Amino acid sequence: MKKTHIVAIVMILVAAVILITASGDVSTYATFETAKISGDRVKIAGVFAKDRPMVYDPVKNANWFSFYLTDTDNKTEKVILLKAKPADFERSEQVILTGKYQEDTFVADEVLTKCPSKYKDEEIALRKKSPNKAIQ
Amino acid sequence: MDEIQYVGEHLLPGIIGNFALVLAFCTALLSAISYYYSTKPYADSKWSKMGRISFWIHGVSVITLIACIFYVMYNRMFEYRYVIEHVSDDLPMKYILSAFWEGQEGSFLLWMFWHVVLGFIFIRGKSMFESPVICILALIQLVLTSMLLGVYVGFGDSMYKLGSNPILLLRDTVDLPLFNNAEYVSLLKGNGLNPLLQNYWMTIHPPTLFLGFASTAFPFCLAIAGLWTKQHKAWLKPALRWSLFSGGILGIGILMGGAWAYEALTFGGYWAWDPVENTSLVPWIVLVAGIHTNLIAKSTGYSMRSTYAFYLMCFILILYSTFLTRSGILGDTSVHAFTEMGLEWQLVFMVVFFTSLAKLFFFFNWKNIPAPKTEEKFLSREFWMFIGALVLLFSAILITVSSSLPVFNKIMSFFDATYVGRVIEDPIPHYNKYQIWIGVFVALLSGISVFLRYGSRTIKLKTLFTHIAIGAILGVLLVYLFERWLGLHAWQYRVLMFACSFGVVSNLDYLISVIRGNLKLASSVCSHFGFSLMIIGVLASGLNEQVISSNSFLLDVEQSERLGNALPLYENIPMFMNGYWATYKGDTLEGFTRRYEVDIRKVDENNNTLEEYTMWPSAIYDKDMAKIAAFNPDKRHYWMEDIFVNAQVPSPKFDVKFAHEMEDTLRYNDYILTVGDTFKTENSIGILKSIDFEPKHKDFNMDDNDLGVGLSIEFQQDGKEEIYEANPSLGLKGNLVFQYPDKLDRLNMKMRIEDSFFETLFTPEQLIDFENKVLKQNETIDYKDFKITLSAFDRNPQNDLYEAQDGDIAIAAELTVLRKSDNKIFALDPIYVLREGRPFSIKDYEASSGLHVHFANINPQEENFEFKLGMDKRSSMSVPVQIAENMPATDFIIFEAKRFPGINFFWLGSTMMMLGLIFGFIRKLRNT
Repeated sequence: MKKTHIVAIVMILVAAVILITASGDVSTYATFETAKISGDRVKIAGVFAKDRPMVYDPVKNANWFSFYLTDTDNKTEKVILLKAKPADFERSEQVILTGKYQEDTFVADEVLTKCPSKYKDEEIALRKKSPNKAIQ
Repeated sequence: MDEIQYVGEHLLPGIIGNFALVLAFCTALLSAISYYYSTKPYADSKWSKMGRISFWIHGVSVITLIACIFYVMYNRMFEYRYVIEHVSDDLPMKYILSAFWEGQEGSFLLWMFWHVVLGFIFIRGKSMFESPVICILALIQLVLTSMLLGVYVGFGDSMYKLGSNPILLLRDTVDLPLFNNAEYVSLLKGNGLNPLLQNYWMTIHPPTLFLGFASTAFPFCLAIAGLWTKQHKAWLKPALRWSLFSGGILGIGILMGGAWAYEALTFGGYWAWDPVENTSLVPWIVLVAGIHTNLIAKSTGYSMRSTYAFYLMCFILILYSTFLTRSGILGDTSVHAFTEMGLEWQLVFMVVFFTSLAKLFFFFNWKNIPAPKTEEKFLSREFWMFIGALVLLFSAILITVSSSLPVFNKIMSFFDATYVGRVIEDPIPHYNKYQIWIGVFVALLSGISVFLRYGSRTIKLKTLFTHIAIGAILGVLLVYLFERWLGLHAWQYRVLMFACSFGVVSNLDYLISVIRGNLKLASSVCSHFGFSLMIIGVLASGLNEQVISSNSFLLDVEQSERLGNALPLYENIPMFMNGYWATYKGDTLEGFTRRYEVDIRKVDENNNTLEEYTMWPSAIYDKDMAKIAAFNPDKRHYWMEDIFVNAQVPSPKFDVKFAHEMEDTLRYNDYILTVGDTFKTENSIGILKSIDFEPKHKDFNMDDNDLGVGLSIEFQQDGKEEIYEANPSLGLKGNLVFQYPDKLDRLNMKMRIEDSFFETLFTPEQLIDFENKVLKQNETIDYKDFKITLSAFDRNPQNDLYEAQDGDIAIAAELTVLRKSDNKIFALDPIYVLREGRPFSIKDYEASSGLHVHFANINPQEENFEFKLGMDKRSSMSVPVQIAENMPATDFIIFEAKRFPGINFFWLGSTMMMLGLIFGFIRKLRNT
């Protein structure tokens, strides 16, 4: 057997080991339910509940923001984000939190907000009000 | 329905552009076919001539199309879809290029443009591989052009849209009631370019990156040409030249993206392992692996198959990256995603087509690619270089697999609708923990293999070990010094740091002792040294970034534990943080950008100032100025570190909608105040000092108002010393009352005068004690604080309160009044009217002093005039004021500051790595 073949085989073995260990880095999006049961650090995707109170008082603590999130099972719970409130939070379409349950509250330290059409406005802008209101 | 004759449309550029588009498509096809026939043995030279001519026409067509799009963009012809989507009236012309390649179509065209330019250069080079190379290039161009056709192709009942045409009229792409209006063009205004993309990075990053993308097509085409013509040796030389160029440019393009992220977009990150970043890095890694095997193959004849494989793979990975970026499949896992164009299947076809093509050529020729029978020697350069290439391939595979998770999810959900997609929880540690070891291997291999020789010219073992020992000893020393300077925190990082130190030392050793400073041979040293230095920079800045903006003096333990990287910074109140004093001074608005001024003072242990400077973190608004699109940090560069600061602002300050909501939550209490009153609010004691008829409110402008009234109220919080003054004001313009509420952020107070105050401001006549005065023309009299002169008369008085009727006799007296206390001069014009024999008087009034004047009578015999003068009793006026004491303070920013030590090693090292490739390319050019 050639030396290069041996190296290649070793690499393939290493790659297999890596793939197995790396599967631990991967997870599905959790829900409040599953996150509470497992107690693991998970990602929860959901929608910011606009009608529920949110608390952000940067004077007291700029890195503490609490709000309500509705997860994919349609369950709404209060969550705490240990970060400054994202700039475009109110108009976010989807919020993805990374964190885990601490006692009875989901505490996140990472957040990703997805906003509608981040880079482009869909509507056609007009110079002035036109009688054709049906423009979208 | 009749065709509507639209007004103001410019149809010609569209016609020319569409013609050029179709011509580009046809000539690409024609060129590919012609060149294909010209590769046949004993082919008529007319075939290659035809191929060449059609490629030239194709190139000219592509450039014409680009020119047409630029023409309509430059002239802001919003009737074109691409223009209305990417340009606006207020878009500065310097961003027109950015606007062009912001969209998918524009960036495809940019890519095609570079293919055309490089293709022209290749044809001029009169290569023996011209026919197969340009044949494949024309095929690539054909597929890319199809992305822009925008035609519908029917398969049975289903229609499939082929491409997205960038030069179509808006009304050809969407159906809107707007198009019933023949003059719709004049109503359109563009969406413009995202303010986030309005910077010079957006001007230089995409063209460089796409030049890199386009140049990878040449090693690919040359590899196919080598397989096609079975000239397995001859293609290696031109391929090496192209791939060195490509590696350098693509690398610089990727680095520019990192620099953009570092400088402007994110808070000090240059690489986030974002899928889009990864899929542009992976082809580069594979290309570099290919360059190494190419060198081996050229010098020894080994590794020919792998050279083919690497170059073919590199371009396919470029296409795969295009697919990932543009198909929308990455969804929320990437910040880079383009807007979707509906071309997913066309992109899949592109990847599959060229992969199959490459595979066909490769495996059909596998047997006849020469490979030496004997194995590489263990201590030969080719063996270790090949191992190095395998390590790079290994790295590329790992990154690709992880970044392809969204594709895997998509495929799984195709088979199983209930499948829940997987995500990588923390991408950055995930990638880092494996790529660390790639870094170790690459640094060690690049350090050792420079001392080895090709083939049988083996180096003396003793010499080799001497060099390795030098590298190892000095390497350990460097690790020690690094630990003294910053810190490595874990054994894995120490190993990596050792490998990189070894790489740095060995490459310097090689430069000095072996090639003796001959810079012509130093391009590989430059790259390898750069690589190790770059990783040292990553270790320095990544492991040792330090948050400055944390406050260790916070008393609340629970709070300080939770406190992360941000602190509130109040206007004009300096705050101490980890060796720095920071003071927020205020903000200014320029265009879409609001800049926050923060004074920084670096001090030593004894609070002696070491350095003072001002930083300007900023916020960029979106297009209608109602929202902040992004916060941009400011940075300060030093030799050994960078300082980054970022400012965020509490929502109500920038968000119009949120500000309204916030106003609704305020709890106002009512107070009726007269001058001199001391009153108690929920938390403070206030005194109404005066009522000002020239309001002091900072936004109040007398020019905008006919009349203004403001208050001076002083507040003192219970038990505190500081006294704050507020000036809530009202303005009147015509019949409209304008509110100028005032706030005291320190007291969480917001207050306003009730609108109804204006009604009481016009004191009823009977409450004024009038005094009769008789004046002659040009006579001056004294009245209280005033000197009043009757200057002239106006027989056609203009006054809002006087409406002229037939038969009226109306005379206005023009009185010039000097207020003695401040020498202010003003005019009053009371009117005397005789209507149907009865006298009326229309009063005039000066608001700031409260002087009222009636023109009471005219005595023609004595030529004098009677006036009634009076003062309103403003000191006894009572003002209704509303005060809320639950206003969130807004006079602060949320401040973050970080220190990145050693970041310049990263930039220096990575730039050297890419420049090494470019130097290699230049040297190869000189040698031919």
